Amino acid sequence: MGVITNDRSQHGVAAASDVQTTVEASDVQAIVLRPRPKPYVGEYVVLRIGDAGQGRQMVRRILPHVAPAEEWWVPSLPGWLGIAFTFEGLKALGVPQLSLDSFPVEFRQGMAARAEILHDWGANAPEHWEYPFGTADVHVALAIYGRNERDLQRVLDLARRAHDDLPQISVVYRMQFGELPEGRNPFGFKDGLHNPHVEGSGPRIRARSADQGRPSSFWAIPTRTRAGPGAGSSGSCATTVPSWPSASSTWMLPRFAATCGRRPRRRRKRSSWPPRWWAAGAAVRPLVLAPDRDNPELGSDRNRNNVFSYADDMKGLKCPFSAHIRRVNPRDALKDEVVAVNLHHFLRRGTNYGPPLPEGVLEDDGAERGGVFLLIGAHLKRQFEFIQSQWVTDGNFISHGTEQDPLIGNNDGDGDFTIPQRPARRRLHGLPRFVTVRGGEYCFIPGLRALRWLADLGSSSA
Amino acid sequence: MATQTATRSESDQTLEKKIQRLREVYATGPEVGKTALEKVLGELTSFASTARARVESAGRTGVRQGKVSELLFIAPFAPGGAARLRALLQLRDGSFDDTDRVGTVHDMRFVFLDNDTKLLFATAYDGEWDPYIDDFATKITDQMDVIFTACEGWPGIRSPKVKDWIVKHQIPAVGWYVAHPDLTVRDITG
Repeated sequence: MGVITNDRSQHGVAAASDVQTTVEASDVQAIVLRPRPKPYVGEYVVLRIGDAGQGRQMVRRILPHVAPAEEWWVPSLPGWLGIAFTFEGLKALGVPQLSLDSFPVEFRQGMAARAEILHDWGANAPEHWEYPFGTADVHVALAIYGRNERDLQRVLDLARRAHDDLPQISVVYRMQFGELPEGRNPFGFKDGLHNPHVEGSGPRIRARSADQGRPSSFWAIPTRTRAGPGAGSSGSCATTVPSWPSASSTWMLPRFAATCGRRPRRRRKRSSWPPRWWAAGAAVRPLVLAPDRDNPELGSDRNRNNVFSYADDMKGLKCPFSAHIRRVNPRDALKDEVVAVNLHHFLRRGTNYGPPLPEGVLEDDGAERGGVFLLIGAHLKRQFEFIQSQWVTDGNFISHGTEQDPLIGNNDGDGDFTIPQRPARRRLHGLPRFVTVRGGEYCFIPGLRALRWLADLGSSSA
Repeated sequence: MATQTATRSESDQTLEKKIQRLREVYATGPEVGKTALEKVLGELTSFASTARARVESAGRTGVRQGKVSELLFIAPFAPGGAARLRALLQLRDGSFDDTDRVGTVHDMRFVFLDNDTKLLFATAYDGEWDPYIDDFATKITDQMDVIFTACEGWPGIRSPKVKDWIVKHQIPAVGWYVAHPDLTVRDITG
């Protein structure tokens, strides 16, 4: 079963642009294609598998509750459950070595081992991460969402029943999350503004944003069948490696991060940080659309809040080049450069945890709050790792030297933020690290048929 | 404080070992070289103890000083490849405006070796090429392929094998010096 193609190609992109994309939504997990409910509550649960047989038993039981993306615009479930596996998790389930070997090196190594490339050093270094992140104990990640607490508990119960009589399956981490008022993130910015549309996945729920010429060509769903988990296997391997019967396996990269709760109390020197406009309340609209004053109405209009381009702001006077929103999704801002922006997109399924920072509070109130950057894509290196290493933690691509992303960069009280202005630009100095990485993992989100394959692993060879 | 002292004496030791090794290998060489070494050794030692951006690895292979990396490879020409590349470079006559778009290339050198049987390609560039190879494959496909199809076995910039091809022919520098290691092309051009 399964068509064998060399999906592990670093250059699937070039070929994919010539292919008419159809996404088999019944085989894709809902978490990939479906926007989270609004409002939402949820919980992440991390499991460790101590025994392959019990692990597969758990997968078998949980399978009926894994939501497919098929009916994402008419949700019929009380909530939904997504399931993903780390490389260690696939090993723990007894996935054959040949299949394991065929996964890309980034996934095999895991996020912690990629720290140098991701600029996860200093306070963000894996040695400071919370257990179990960065250890070999993270095997399965469950993401469970509901519209309210009651729905959430129902789905959590289903998940619990899948493993509570299996002593070798242990819960090693749980984290609750929920939406902040007005859909803001802990910084006060409007959250989740720009998710690209996946062509072939169903009706567009948002107007096309200016950068998305042919969305199908760039990202999330591999358009061809993965052969053998991870593929890369040539046709001949198909006979020895059971094929991974899913066109719809993608990557998920949860990155748990604590945010402004850790605003530093001590400042080594007086700085102009935070600027006045920051204190006055962060924006809830794309800056480039309404540079002079905030516009909550525009910010909450899904038909307008993702329809913008930087074509008439090539000097960065409306939205600074270094602003987080422009760095992580430059849209058409780099159209004259060699970089192919469409290669470097991912789906944003991030969530927030902790209470909102009370109005007017600028110092740390001790509360735990932050965000979970749950990014979904098809290519770890080209998508997450590229954005993190080139656009977030380096400034050369916008001629800003070593200036990092002001929001999620790894600054240590020595960060700069450049604001183009006339007659002279303004530069803020002494930016602290607003976000501290608490942990992160590279996970693989199998399609539903692939999950079945995983669940049946032992039985076919036994 | 104690740690600093330890590190200091450790690096002194390494330096002494390097000097000792240097004297050993020069001892068996020509007398002129040996004398010259003794004359410049004091100066060399003082350079070595000054803090300068050290040479480090640039991605999979090659070296970097500060922000500037080097890449050099020697690959055999495909049949007729030398003539094609020579004609192409003659037309270009030093003009690589399309490469300016890349924004990270300081220079490029094309040298024909061994009676036009091999190409030596050398470049200084900012950062790493590896993360951008997919972008090259998308945005300057033909500009890359028209040059490097001159080489035997060039798989094409869009091929998943292109990185391996480059690395296979690449020869990392043993020495690498950049006058302004912290200035990128973008820093210079603004």
